[in-house]
Amino acid sequence: MNVKNAIFGLVVSTIAVTSLASSGMEGQEAPDFALKSSSGENMRLSEYRGDVVMINFWATWCGPCRQEMPLLDELYARYQRVGFNLLGVNIDDDSNRAMKMIDELGVNFPVLFDARKEVSKLYAVDAMPVTVLVDREGKVRHVHHGYKPGYEEKYLDQIRTLLRE
Amino acid sequence: MTKTFFSLFATVALVSSMAAFAQDAAQMNAEMALAQAMSAEAAESESREQFRSLDQDVQTLKKEVLDLNRDLFLLEEELLFPANSQVAFFISMDVGEYFELDSVNLKIDGKEVANYLYTAREVDALIRGGVHRVHMANLKTGDHELIAIFTGKGPHVRDYRRGATVTIDKGIGAKYLELEITDRVRKQQPEFVIKEWE
Repeated sequence: MNVKNAIFGLVVSTIAVTSLASSGMEGQEAPDFALKSSSGENMRLSEYRGDVVMINFWATWCGPCRQEMPLLDELYARYQRVGFNLLGVNIDDDSNRAMKMIDELGVNFPVLFDARKEVSKLYAVDAMPVTVLVDREGKVRHVHHGYKPGYEEKYLDQIRTLLRE
Repeated sequence: MTKTFFSLFATVALVSSMAAFAQDAAQMNAEMALAQAMSAEAAESESREQFRSLDQDVQTLKKEVLDLNRDLFLLEEELLFPANSQVAFFISMDVGEYFELDSVNLKIDGKEVANYLYTAREVDALIRGGVHRVHMANLKTGDHELIAIFTGKGPHVRDYRRGATVTIDKGIGAKYLELEITDRVRKQQPEFVIKEWE
C-alpha cells in the first residue's frame, strides 16, 4: 500500500513539475519587439542576437525597481564590452516620469518605453519588476519576478554562465 | 356421266371456296401484320419519346451538376484557399533624403493591423534597396480601405507624419501592395506612393 502511495505521489509531483515548467517562458524563443528608447532611437530585441540580453521591466511607482536599477546599471557597465546588453522596459503611461527617474538614478543602460503595454503582455509581466535573461541564441533562460536584496548575486552568476556559453 | 360432272362441279366449287378462304385469310393476315406493325411503330415512337424525355432529364441534371460544380469551385476558391485571400504589404524607400522613417501604421477598414517601428539598421537596409514585408492579411473579396500612416523626421529634421489612403479591390488570388517612400526633389518633400504589384 505504501509503495502504491509513493508511486502515486511521484507521478502526481512529476506531472505538477512538468506543467509548471511548461507554463514558464524558460527555454522558449524570446518574443521579439521594437520600442522607442530614451535616446529617441528605436531598438529591436532581435538586433542583439549573439549577445546575452537582460530585459528589465520596471515602473516609476515600483519601489524595488528603484533599488534594483542602479545595481543592474553596474552589471551593464561591467559586462557590456563582452557581449552583455541590458534593456530597461518602462511600462508607465507617461514616459516623462520615467525620464525623470532615469536622470535621478543616473543609470546609463537604454530604457525603452512600453506605454501601450504590448511588450509586457508578450512577456506576461505580472509583477514589478520582472527581469528576463535571454541567451546568445535568443532563448529565454531565466525569469525573475520581483526583487529582493541579494538577487543581483543570482543575476551575476547567470550572466557569467550565459556569457561563457 | 352426270356423276362425273357433279363431282367435277363439286371439286371446282371446293377449290374456288378454298381459294376464297385463302384470300380472306391472306387479307386478314395482312391486316393483322399491318396492325401489328402499326402497334410496334407506336410502341417504338412512345419508347423513343420516353427515351428523349429521359435524355432531356439527364441533360438537365448534368447541367445542374455542372452549375453546382462551378458554384462549389468558386466557393472553394473564395473560402478554402487562404493563400488566395492573402494581401501582403511591403515598405520600400527610394533615396530617403527628405524623410527619415520612424514607424509605419497600417489600418484596414478602420482597424489597426500593424504598427512597425523601424530601427536605424532597418532604415539603412531600406535605403540600400531592401523591401520589408510589414504585414500580411487575409481579406475577403471586395473593396477594402487601407490607411497607411508614416511617421519620422521630415525636411529640416522636423517631426513628420503623413497618411496615404487607398481602396484595395480584392479579387481572387493573392495581392501585393508596395508602400513606397520617395523624394520629390522639386518640392523638397517626401512622397508616399501605394503601388500594386502585377
